[in-house]
Amino acid sequence: MQRMNLQQGRPFANGYSSRRVDTVVGTRTESKTQVRKSASPNFVSTNGTRVGRPTSPSRDRLIYVLTCLVGHHVEVHVKNGSIISGIFHATNADGDFEIVLKMAQVIKDGSVRERKSDHDSIKKPQPMVIPARELVQVLAKDVSLSDEFTPGQSCEKRKDLMIDSVISHSHHLETERELAPWMPGEDDPECPELENIFDGTFDRKWDQFETNEALFGVKSTFNEELYTTKLERGPQMRDLEKIALKIAREIEGEETQDLHLAEERGFSYHDDFNLDEESRYSAVRREVNGSGLRENENSDMEAYGSGIIAGSLGLATSGSCSDSLSKKNGNEAQASCNETQASSTSSSVVEEACLYTLADKGLGLSSVDVSSELKSDCIARSSSLEDEIRLDDNQIKDQGGKSERMAIQDSQTSDDVNTSIKSEEVSISAPLYDPSSSGQGNIITESSDSPVRGKLPAASESVDPPIRQGSSTSSSEYAHAESNRPFLSPSTSCGSLSSEKSTLNPNAKEFKLNPNAKSFTPSSSVRLHAAIPDGSFYQASNVNAVQHMHGLPMGVGVGPSFSHQPVFYNPQAAQIQSPQAYINPNGPVYGQQMIVGQHPQFYYVQSYPPEMPHKGRKF
Amino acid sequence: MEGGGGEELAVGCVLSLRTTLGDEIEGQIVAYDRPSNILVIQEGSSNAGARRNIRLLKANYIQDFTYLKKAEDPLDLNKCYIDLAGLQAREEASLRQAEIEAERIGVGVTSEAQSLFDALSKTLPVRWDKTVIVVMNEVRVSIPYLPENVTGGTPAANDRVKKVLEFERKRLQARGPGQF
Repeated sequence: MQRMNLQQGRPFANGYSSRRVDTVVGTRTESKTQVRKSASPNFVSTNGTRVGRPTSPSRDRLIYVLTCLVGHHVEVHVKNGSIISGIFHATNADGDFEIVLKMAQVIKDGSVRERKSDHDSIKKPQPMVIPARELVQVLAKDVSLSDEFTPGQSCEKRKDLMIDSVISHSHHLETERELAPWMPGEDDPECPELENIFDGTFDRKWDQFETNEALFGVKSTFNEELYTTKLERGPQMRDLEKIALKIAREIEGEETQDLHLAEERGFSYHDDFNLDEESRYSAVRREVNGSGLRENENSDMEAYGSGIIAGSLGLATSGSCSDSLSKKNGNEAQASCNETQASSTSSSVVEEACLYTLADKGLGLSSVDVSSELKSDCIARSSSLEDEIRLDDNQIKDQGGKSERMAIQDSQTSDDVNTSIKSEEVSISAPLYDPSSSGQGNIITESSDSPVRGKLPAASESVDPPIRQGSSTSSSEYAHAESNRPFLSPSTSCGSLSSEKSTLNPNAKEFKLNPNAKSFTPSSSVRLHAAIPDGSFYQASNVNAVQHMHGLPMGVGVGPSFSHQPVFYNPQAAQIQSPQAYINPNGPVYGQQMIVGQHPQFYYVQSYPPEMPHKGRKF
Repeated sequence: MEGGGGEELAVGCVLSLRTTLGDEIEGQIVAYDRPSNILVIQEGSSNAGARRNIRLLKANYIQDFTYLKKAEDPLDLNKCYIDLAGLQAREEASLRQAEIEAERIGVGVTSEAQSLFDALSKTLPVRWDKTVIVVMNEVRVSIPYLPENVTGGTPAANDRVKKVLEFERKRLQARGPGQF
């Protein structure tokens, strides 16, 4: 044991200390052992072969330090001045502490003082033993004497295999410090209070553009109207603004099925509260189509989805009906519409939905411009819809079907013409009507022919003309901005939500009734229906027809004729206002004030898409 | 130096000493074993991440020392754990590393040759074959490691090794002859 042996696998220090530690501690906890000063007396007693060994706390310490050096790269200084570098392998702790190094090399040979020349050869590293008498000092760099068993440190020695967490961890441990929130020492008057900076934004007298111009000579070319709708500023501005604000409030107060909208508006999503964060914020949302119609699978309808219907129907214009309605909508939205045949009410809701969405489509697009001929029936109905919604809130008390509507009709302030008509519609559509907020109820009773197969095909015809008139009047009334009702709310909400491309003409201009217009008397030659072969054009025979169109509002009677083929006009007669009368929906829209002289002699009319519904007036 | 002066060599004292070999050491006493006359000194500033330089110095080589101050025991005896498995692992790793490095050193080659080898090894895989530098297992550079001595390998590899060799030689010469 005293003499070191190179072939010995187990280093002395390790073997010694491990044995010693075993006796000291008694039980070995994994690979952690504790060296204690108090262990020395135990050592003497338990291990007989070790009796007589000098033991002292200081020796223990020395042994401990040496043990920590195992595997460490050390430099051993020897008596003759040489320095040997190697990996500390073992020491003779029982004896006089000879040093055993592995992969050792003589770095600096003290025996030869002068500098070596280029031809010195470097020896291969080999295990070396340094006897104690030669030993002067052992130098080890960057040794950690405590906490040897932290994984980061033990792994750090292994330079060939290092994982990222180890690399980052080791830095982490050392730079941690107790974090405390920042508190301002004394209030720095220089620092502007962040909360107050933007208070009273509108009261600030500071104009950034002015400042910029003054400071840097930069002229601002910002024109707000380039980016947003041009506001009509004028005497009616306040009213319009009030209307707009009301609409905005209504939209924002709408109940919605959309999770994000609901959250924005502060509504708790009335169903699933066990949605986790992922479903709420990050998962892909798939629209649940609860509005599939059992009668008519109209793609338009499906596009809106149940959410829109629920939202639009949930308009809280008056609190009285909102609860029942929301419940109903909730049921409706979630249940598949295909299963709603059971109750008539639910079916009527479906009907409402059909009609309503149609109306909304129209409204959403033509909120301002209402032109009769070029718009579909929907728009006409939607304008009447506007009428209905314009009713005051306090007029809607009844939850009953007919009576409510009748009351509404009677109290309607906008249009006398419409009143009778509406009541007529109402009575016709009584079975369809579902107690809901007033404005919608009335609208929804209408049935349109082409897009939605309502239950009242017969009534549609009779309803149409009155509606037309209603639309004209309503539009004119709208221009006066008499109403305070946010009549656009359901449509705007739907319009914003819908992604359906409308077949309506966005370019159609507002219809302005021309009281001086000559009544149109269609002649057979002008009736260019499908009978006319393609490619044909009309010559002078059409002149009189064209002349008849003088002064008529746009496209009257000529509308349907263009659905299939191009038609040449040869307006040889002078002073023909036909160009302005005829509005090509696919082309640019000119104002009615277009000067006659501007038009070319031949007015080429583009062919319509065949599926274009009849947008002209029906006399 | 005699073994007297117990209080000066107490654990925790900060000393500044000088050895007979001319080394100047300043550090804190970790342990002192009288029978073997070994003094364990811990260098470095205190609490510098618990990593210090450790010196085991035979006390009889201390020429003189100066007692600087008294500090507390650097070893916290409650925290003295030895992870034997960790130590063994560390040793193995160190040995592996040392062997890898040892491979890079040619036996019986001049230091200039070694410098060339090291320079080549920065960008090319090189190994020693006795006194011949073998690059990419193809190109061989033998004594005296001149561009003419580059043999073997594809012409492209050969040229590349030649170029690198010339460049390194120039660099070594520029650094000065006595800088090896």
